Amino acid sequence: MDNELNISQDQNTEKLKEIPKWTRKYAQNRTLTIIVLMAMIMLFSMLFAGGMAFLLVLATAGFRKGNMVLVCVGIAASVAVLAAMLIFLIITLKKFGGKNRGMLDQMIDQRIYGKEGTVSVPVPKSSKKKMCLEIVTAVIFFICFFGTWNLAVKGYIAYKYLQPVSALYFVPYMFCGWYFFQSPRIGPIYLLHPMLFAIHAILIVAGVPMFFTTENFCIFSVCLPYIGYGFLAYVIGHIYNRYALKKLKGISHFQGEAADGD
Amino acid sequence: MEIDRIIHEPARLRIMMILSGLEQADFNFLLTTLSLTRGNLSRHMEKLESAAYLKVKKSFKGKIPNTSYQLTQKGSKSLAQYWENLDSVRQLGNSR
Repeated sequence: MDNELNISQDQNTEKLKEIPKWTRKYAQNRTLTIIVLMAMIMLFSMLFAGGMAFLLVLATAGFRKGNMVLVCVGIAASVAVLAAMLIFLIITLKKFGGKNRGMLDQMIDQRIYGKEGTVSVPVPKSSKKKMCLEIVTAVIFFICFFGTWNLAVKGYIAYKYLQPVSALYFVPYMFCGWYFFQSPRIGPIYLLHPMLFAIHAILIVAGVPMFFTTENFCIFSVCLPYIGYGFLAYVIGHIYNRYALKKLKGISHFQGEAADGD
Repeated sequence: MEIDRIIHEPARLRIMMILSGLEQADFNFLLTTLSLTRGNLSRHMEKLESAAYLKVKKSFKGKIPNTSYQLTQKGSKSLAQYWENLDSVRQLGNSR
């Protein structure tokens, strides 16, 4: 009887030791915030790109028909949209950039997970050196991105191989980005994103037709997998977050009311 | 070998363990995770705070007051020591 009691106590103790692990997993996978942020950025970009495209098409059509009023209206409206976008960016950076970096995430996080309370995992220490490295890697990334796209449009890279070639810099960039800048704020589930992107590239090389073949849409061969797999990784992260919370509550919940502070 | 009585209480042990996995957590998170009453949890937090195991940060989220807790270095060390001592006691019990 005593032996059975000892074994049960040992098991309980071992379970208690798992609390920090599940707490951290829960905190690292509050990824619905990132999904909302992604959706907001996408919606904003689509609205901006769509508006600009419509106005430029309008101006071009006016020019072809010799309707100068339409051309002027189109150009003036494009400039106004561009100016509005710049003002919006300046206001956003002023409010949520610099010292307030991460405040927007916190606000969304509070809206989504507010009922469960607020938790935070250690944020990677920011330094000037780290910030410079972050900027330099981002610049290199964009040079690679637009360079590859340009080479594909000029015919140096077949449209079929645009995504696999992009994977050569996308995957290391995402791995390094996570390891140097995000970990331990975001858990290893984030690594699903580059892994799925790499698998997509391998499948294309193996002959699976998962790409766009026209010039106008070739960029989507890269953008759609990037956004889609990112979305998928974060959805999986959120599901794992629910599981971690259930596990955590299972270990730390009290059946009855615990004794008070004395 | 002495077991820390402040940490040894089940609710406080759970609070310390939750905080050891995080940078900080607020009162609401602990409340929902542990399913204690507000008064009960407050008492435990006061005990841990008075032992300097926790650092308390009071702020406002909009117009609502928010209290966050963070494990201090002393708290982390005491928790590690507690487990060490408890494991020794358990080993001693098992060997008999």
